[in-house]
Amino acid sequence: MAAGAAVTLGGGLSACGSRGDVARAGTTDQWRQFQGATLNFISENTAPTAAIAANTKPFTDLTGINVNIVTLELTALVQRVALDLASGRAQYQVIYADPYQVLAPYQRGLVDLRTLEADPNLPRLPGGIGDFIPVQMDAAGRFVDPAAYYALPYDAPTMIWQYRQDLFAKYHDRMAHDLGFDPTPGGERTWEEYFRIAQWFNKNATSDVKYGTGHQARQHDSLMNDFSNVLWSYGGAYFDHGKEVGRLGARDPGPCRLDSEAAIAGAEFYNRLLSIADPASKTWDWDGVGAAFRAGRLAMCPNWHEFAASNEQVLPGKVGYAVLPKGPVATANMYGGTGVGISANTMPNERGAAWLFLVWATSPETQLANLKSKAGGGTPTRTSVYELPEVRAAEKRPSSMPNMLTAAAVRQAWTPERIGLRPKIPMWNECNTAIFTQLSTMLSGAETPANAMRSIKSRVDRIVARGWVA
Amino acid sequence: MAHAAETSAAVRGSAQLKSTGRKEPRVGFEGWMMAPGLLLLAALSIVPFIALIAMSFSRVRLLGGVKLDLVGLGNWARFFTDADMWLSWLRTIIFFVLTVGLEMVLGIGIALCLFRVLRGRNILLGLLLLPMFAAPSIVGLLGRYLTDSTFGLYAWVLRGLGYSGDILGAPVSAFAAVVLMDVWEWTPLIALITLAGLSSVPQSVREAAAVDGARGWMTLRYILFPAISNVLLVALLIRSMDAIRYFDIIWVTTNGGPADATKIVPVRLYETAFRFFDLGYAAAIGLAMLAFSIFIARTFVRLLDVRGLTR
Repeated sequence: MAAGAAVTLGGGLSACGSRGDVARAGTTDQWRQFQGATLNFISENTAPTAAIAANTKPFTDLTGINVNIVTLELTALVQRVALDLASGRAQYQVIYADPYQVLAPYQRGLVDLRTLEADPNLPRLPGGIGDFIPVQMDAAGRFVDPAAYYALPYDAPTMIWQYRQDLFAKYHDRMAHDLGFDPTPGGERTWEEYFRIAQWFNKNATSDVKYGTGHQARQHDSLMNDFSNVLWSYGGAYFDHGKEVGRLGARDPGPCRLDSEAAIAGAEFYNRLLSIADPASKTWDWDGVGAAFRAGRLAMCPNWHEFAASNEQVLPGKVGYAVLPKGPVATANMYGGTGVGISANTMPNERGAAWLFLVWATSPETQLANLKSKAGGGTPTRTSVYELPEVRAAEKRPSSMPNMLTAAAVRQAWTPERIGLRPKIPMWNECNTAIFTQLSTMLSGAETPANAMRSIKSRVDRIVARGWVA
Repeated sequence: MAHAAETSAAVRGSAQLKSTGRKEPRVGFEGWMMAPGLLLLAALSIVPFIALIAMSFSRVRLLGGVKLDLVGLGNWARFFTDADMWLSWLRTIIFFVLTVGLEMVLGIGIALCLFRVLRGRNILLGLLLLPMFAAPSIVGLLGRYLTDSTFGLYAWVLRGLGYSGDILGAPVSAFAAVVLMDVWEWTPLIALITLAGLSSVPQSVREAAAVDGARGWMTLRYILFPAISNVLLVALLIRSMDAIRYFDIIWVTTNGGPADATKIVPVRLYETAFRFFDLGYAAAIGLAMLAFSIFIARTFVRLLDVRGLTR
């Protein structure tokens, strides 16, 4: 009945009377032409938005535009955005456009930002779109068409190897002797070596940590993220042309390829890895594994790099960061970044006001301010910000911008050969649910890895065959 | 007899109206008085209900305003052939039987104990009712923290007893945990209703039974249970309706996992409607849930009807 009511309401709202656009002031100052307007920005409750929400005054001072920020958990955000787009009105003019849950399924509901960048009456993006990290620009901003862009990269969480630097230093020689290789985390380590390091901690360092490794393996989006790093490293892929489907996206990705030998080998390894990981891994998403790591329960874990700031608060100087290990075929670090876009239901002047906000929110100055913010702050999505001397200096301890301690790792992770991009397809949400549900079944022991992969393939093929109607 | 007399009077009245040629207004005074309420009801439930039926035969487009593309029986055919959906129904029924059954047994047991307590009954009752006042999502969060293997109290206690697994990490224990969370929250309601029923049994009847030599079990079996059975039926009806649409605690604690072990139909419905935005299929699931709820409600109402309690 709720769905019926929601759709009835959505339909009803779209039938409501017309509404007025915001006024355009007769001024030569491009930044003040929409003064007096009010914008609503809907965002996931992420660190960059927390920083921006705590400091919108500079934008209001610059433009005379007020900004209301609504922050929600991602699932709730996707619902609100979908219903707002269905209403035909733009209650939220600025949208946190998750590439997989908003951009791909609702691309037609977002403005092609090229039209605004080309408008001579509006300010241009400082540094142009070329200043954004290229792979992020494609992954977070584009869909299918390589020229059009619907969102500007806004945050860039990426999965990296987080480890107890103090314990690796303490046990380095013993571990190296016992294991027969240098255990120092880095891109040259393999997943098999990661497994052996975790096992070594389980056996030899229980006075310091309970388990060698922990994972975000709850029946949740996090499980797909954690698994995908291993899958890609073993040469598996969700679809043919996986890199392109991940970077630019596809409306019809073709048959799922999780029944390949490489994918099954990846699943077998992941299953084996989780068998020696902290058993609570099966109840953790990224927050859970982050909390357990900070509580001193784990020696290492793969997790989003933006957890560095909270790691530094609890374990100052004790945590190190590296790219994830490699597999027999490749290496991958899952990217979870998002862009900000503008609702296509906006009216012309409202759209212009929203563009001003996008330009400001993604500008190098704002990204630098976010990095310094006490209220949160993610990591920049612009190349130029990483080149600033004060940002470079913050990559080493003592750091006033603790997320920058991961810079060396994520800089490597964002190269095209290392970045892990999940399929950007309109029906991803449902495919993702099928993937993490069957993975969870595999981890519970109810399915073998091979059967779990085949089961995912058949489900994903059915979902893709049904197509997507937005 | 009285009923027959009233009927014949009404017939006579109607005949008189016809003979005088006066027309009865199509919408009477009562009708006009009820009209605002009926219109509100229509707006709040009948219109969405009709929309839901239409949606169940369509694919729903959202962008640029809601549009329905008719797909005939496609969503219903999918509903009846979806193996995952049937597993969710099976889980729902198991969940329903376990929660309602445990709550009834424990609630009656607690009420019988409280009924015997003379001093401090109100304090005990107040403490007992506390879980009921927490929102289900809060109960879920509380359950999640208490079972968390890093810092959870229950996890710590179970570890002390030799349980090495993770409560919410294994299918059986996770299912048991969400059942117990619901039982913890709603057993007090059953206890409260039962206690009210027990208090209404006349003391003279209980004393007469005692004088006749009826002891504990016999008094319970032949005096108290028959006297409160109608109240218990009402309690059962209330809890059954709630158990069918159970959602919050599962969503907060397990998200339907692990391995779909706690994915009951309401969770699947929510996912289909508000995560996948497959609103046509979600409408079919929602209507099936509605039919199931009506079936359960009708079963209990019929039982009450047999006892003459609905009149």
